[in-house]
Amino acid sequence: MTKFLDIQSINAAYGDIRTLWDVSLQVNEGEIVALIGPNGAGKTTLMRLIAGLHKPTSGSVQLADAPLHTLPAYEIVKRGVILVPEGRRLFGGMTVLENLELGAYSSRAREARFKTIQRVFELFPILAERQKQHANTMSGGQQQMLAIGRAMMGLPKLLMLDEPSLGLAPLIVENIFEIIKLMNEQGVTIFLVEQNARKALELADRAYILEQGRVVGTGAGKELLHNDEVRQAYLGFAPAARK
Amino acid sequence: MAENPIRRPMSLSQLATRSFRRWLTPLGVILLILFAVIYPQQVDKQNVWNLFFLICLHITMSQSWNILAGFAGQSSLGHAAFFGIGAFVTRTLWLNNDTPFALAFILGGLAAVVFGMLIGAPTFRLRGAYFAIGTLGVAEVLRITVSQNIPFISTMPGPLIASYDLPPRYYLALGLALAATGTAYLLLRSPWSLGILALREDEEAAQATGVHVLRHKLLALALSSFFAGLAGGVFAFQQISYYPSAPFSPLWTFDALLITFIGGLGTLIGPVIGAIFFILVRQQLAVALVEIHQVIFGILFIVIVLIFPGGLVEVWRRLSRIRWIKNPFWRK
Amino acid sequence: MSIESFVQTLVFGVFVGGIYGIAAMGLALVFGVLKIMNIAHGELLMLGGYVSFWVFTTWGMDPFVSLLVTIPMLFLIGLLLDRLVYRHIVTLLGEEKIKNSMLVSFGLTLVIQNLAQWGFTADERAIQVAYTGTGLNLFGIILPYTRLGSFAVAIAVTLLLHVFLRRTYYGKAILATAEDWEAAELTGINIHRIYMMTFALGASLAAIAGTFVTITYGISPSIGIIWTLKALVVVVLAGTGSILGAFPAGILLGVVEAVSGAFIGSTYREVIGLVIFVLVLILRPQGLFARK
Repeated sequence: MTKFLDIQSINAAYGDIRTLWDVSLQVNEGEIVALIGPNGAGKTTLMRLIAGLHKPTSGSVQLADAPLHTLPAYEIVKRGVILVPEGRRLFGGMTVLENLELGAYSSRAREARFKTIQRVFELFPILAERQKQHANTMSGGQQQMLAIGRAMMGLPKLLMLDEPSLGLAPLIVENIFEIIKLMNEQGVTIFLVEQNARKALELADRAYILEQGRVVGTGAGKELLHNDEVRQAYLGFAPAARK
Repeated sequence: MAENPIRRPMSLSQLATRSFRRWLTPLGVILLILFAVIYPQQVDKQNVWNLFFLICLHITMSQSWNILAGFAGQSSLGHAAFFGIGAFVTRTLWLNNDTPFALAFILGGLAAVVFGMLIGAPTFRLRGAYFAIGTLGVAEVLRITVSQNIPFISTMPGPLIASYDLPPRYYLALGLALAATGTAYLLLRSPWSLGILALREDEEAAQATGVHVLRHKLLALALSSFFAGLAGGVFAFQQISYYPSAPFSPLWTFDALLITFIGGLGTLIGPVIGAIFFILVRQQLAVALVEIHQVIFGILFIVIVLIFPGGLVEVWRRLSRIRWIKNPFWRK
Repeated sequence: MSIESFVQTLVFGVFVGGIYGIAAMGLALVFGVLKIMNIAHGELLMLGGYVSFWVFTTWGMDPFVSLLVTIPMLFLIGLLLDRLVYRHIVTLLGEEKIKNSMLVSFGLTLVIQNLAQWGFTADERAIQVAYTGTGLNLFGIILPYTRLGSFAVAIAVTLLLHVFLRRTYYGKAILATAEDWEAAELTGINIHRIYMMTFALGASLAAIAGTFVTITYGISPSIGIIWTLKALVVVVLAGTGSILGAFPAGILLGVVEAVSGAFIGSTYREVIGLVIFVLVLILRPQGLFARK
């Protein structure tokens, strides 16, 4: 597998407060990689940094050996790295259709947008139904689907999702994760941040654990699922009883 | 390295244990004051009295605006209202109602404070830009009302013009400038300074830590309006004739803004050096075309806001690379 | 007061409200998208008025036709100002952005106003076209061609702006940036380009209003601040999130001013607007037309 997204020694700060310390991780083409960790660990900061909303103080982010961290956000989108941000961040005053259209704003995606929108509607039939509806009148699950759909319109090579399950009912979360898996099977590399560690580890090929701005662990998804420390810290298991 | 935003005021004993270099600053201040008192007297030329008068007047206006905007973080664009009220009340009481000037002067300042308190309570609920344009709106209402109702020029009666003497007016302005700066200095070293400065840093955080936001804002406003009102009184004392709506003009607000920014917003010395710089340069440039000097100031102002938001004080700091944090005279 | 003169006052209020509306939409656009408060907006209006005056006196071009010259010129000036000055401010955040933009635009006000004074002298200029002073007479109500024409063009411009913002791809990108600039960036929108274009668009709207002002009243270098304040009042009345809503709000202000002026006297007409402005700020800061 080719190294796709390569993050080397990223340090980031918010004013004088350091948020990321020497973070390195890789995402290979075609993989699903998850990033788990407690609240406030810096997962969202890292996502935003990769997407170009935030600049690192040192270190590099590279996509297929081309630097990404020096580019403005819209250029990064053009390269096919698209973020579904935490809290969805839809354009509430606009319709579903308009939100999707705007997702295809960059030139590469714009030409193909009529085809892409059909694919989005296939994956998310509910969006097709509610095309003309205003985004802020939809339920949480529908909004998340719209957010993912909007990201898809940009023809992502690497799709990043920040907390897609946040605030959603378990059934809808199932649905969304199924769709993520489907997208991956269709060739989209996935980088996923999740509070719901179990779901993330079940889905992911590999995962990283971020704590207090540092990478403290990595491994295959299934391995980490069965790792004792991870189980206690993130999966809600009580420490094993003494024999 | 992050600066500690909470700086404890220094006690006199702490000041005393500082090195000789630290005493240079208070010495410099005393020398400056002596210079301001003696030099115009020695030279005794009309334009010098006038120049120094203008500088002192603008120091007061800027210092008073600085207390509200630089210390408490409330950037009002209606400062001229206080200036105008002070001028109006003082002039009316003094010339039309035979009130002794000293009394009219103080009452002018107090009238400005009363007005400030009246509009302070409702407008302080507004944040940032809304506060700024709200205060501008209020000041403009005042200006237009005065301009419509009292369009006639106000002139001193003959005997007063005959006995007109500029020096006392200058010394009044100088005394006021010293009082305003001194008050700002004392405010910084008072128990209220932490609360007021906290407002500037982060109002919500201040409230969360128990700072009584409105009370501190009103205190800053009271001091700010008082000195601006007194400055108006000085203006009414000095001007032989003027249109009553003139002191309400937003240009007075803008000058105070300009000077404070040029000198250094939120510093003690900023309004002083800003006023000196502004008036001196303006006099020089006004020899050329009148319009161009404003253009230059406008550009200078833009450059300062964009590049040196700390004004001349910041320029000085960067040049000297001295650590100003501990010195109360330069600190914000 | 007779019904006729009341309606006449009303009509004039509507006409002047159209100018207010156009001026206000320009300011609302800049505030809504760039999130900056451009105090120099009135100066841009003034410049637009002078361009139309200059074009009229030099080539005898009808002021309405001269819009074809005025709009591109002010569009360019807007681009220039954004590149030179405002570009450095839009990267700031929140309150600091607004504070700095007010200060910088105030500096620009000084610069532009004094340059205009130096270049054009402080004299008031007016345009006298062939049809100045004439108008339609509709049931005893006089509709001067100059004002009627201005209002008609104002309506047309508003409709065009509506179509542009709500129906074109680029327009929607502008509205998206106004709603959430980070989300807009994440969909591949170059927000700095958007900022630049929007500012230039705001300047163009100011120019259109300026042309109307020259036709209706006359122009001088000192009118800038007055018009900035006027536009500001309307923007606050409409609610700062509302761009197109600034037009009806402008008409509302025009009508309120005209009617109250008729009853209270014209001396207080200016004050009425400002008093309403301050009251709305304090009591209903989201504006009269806001959805909340």
